[in-house]
Amino acid sequence: MSGSGFHGFKQDMPPPGGYEAIKYKRNLPVRGVGGAVVFSTVAAICAFGFWRVGAGNVEKRELKREQAWSRINLVPLLLAEQDRDAYRRQQAALAREKEIMKDYPGWEAGKSTYNSSRYTPNTIVVL
Amino acid sequence: MASHRPAVLNDQPYTDPNPLPSSVPHVDELGVTSAPLKSASFFIGQHCKEVNEDFMLCKQENRDPAHCLSEGRKVTRCAADVIGKIKESCLAEFDAHWQCLEKNNQYFQACRKPEKALNQCVFTKLIHEKSSPIFTRVQK
Repeated sequence: MSGSGFHGFKQDMPPPGGYEAIKYKRNLPVRGVGGAVVFSTVAAICAFGFWRVGAGNVEKRELKREQAWSRINLVPLLLAEQDRDAYRRQQAALAREKEIMKDYPGWEAGKSTYNSSRYTPNTIVVL
Repeated sequence: MASHRPAVLNDQPYTDPNPLPSSVPHVDELGVTSAPLKSASFFIGQHCKEVNEDFMLCKQENRDPAHCLSEGRKVTRCAADVIGKIKESCLAEFDAHWQCLEKNNQYFQACRKPEKALNQCVFTKLIHEKSSPIFTRVQK
């Protein structure tokens, strides 16, 4: 009877200092930066990427234009050289044809097969 | 098969050995390969604008090779003149640029440094400047 209470039992009581306060408030710890920051960062990166793509397209177009003009500048001289060679071959072919067909009166050497004054390159080249 | 050609098997492509008729004045061909031509293309285009355009207008008149031979000779002489002048005064820069083009698949963008040196040299010594025309629909 000595250690117990008055009627031989012990009354259950709050711990010394009382109970701690009940946690009824939301507890959501901050995990990294906020949504607005993430969203705007992603948007900024995308915008930068698109800007780069656009700049790259402009650059590519400009390089193509440079290439095209480089070739345009060279067309006349290449064509002139080609023409001289074509003319030389034409004349040689004509001379050959005249020589081969000299015994056939009425044969017109080098006559076009087309009834047109427009220049028509030979479709058959005799080597 | 009947042919005027001798019965010889050639592994070389056939080239017609006949010379140009003597009525056509002789002009030395450029004898320049693609990379030096590309390197000099803007200078040729600028310096020889008149003769080039004349030649192309002549070709537009008639595509017959015989039609524009004299204009073509002018074009070739002008281009040879430009290349000769560049070689005379800017040989080192020219060589550096076209050899760079040769090594870089003839991409201009891969050779901006030698190109700048060449342009600078040509501009100071021959008063040319690289310019590519503005591409518009109204361009004549």
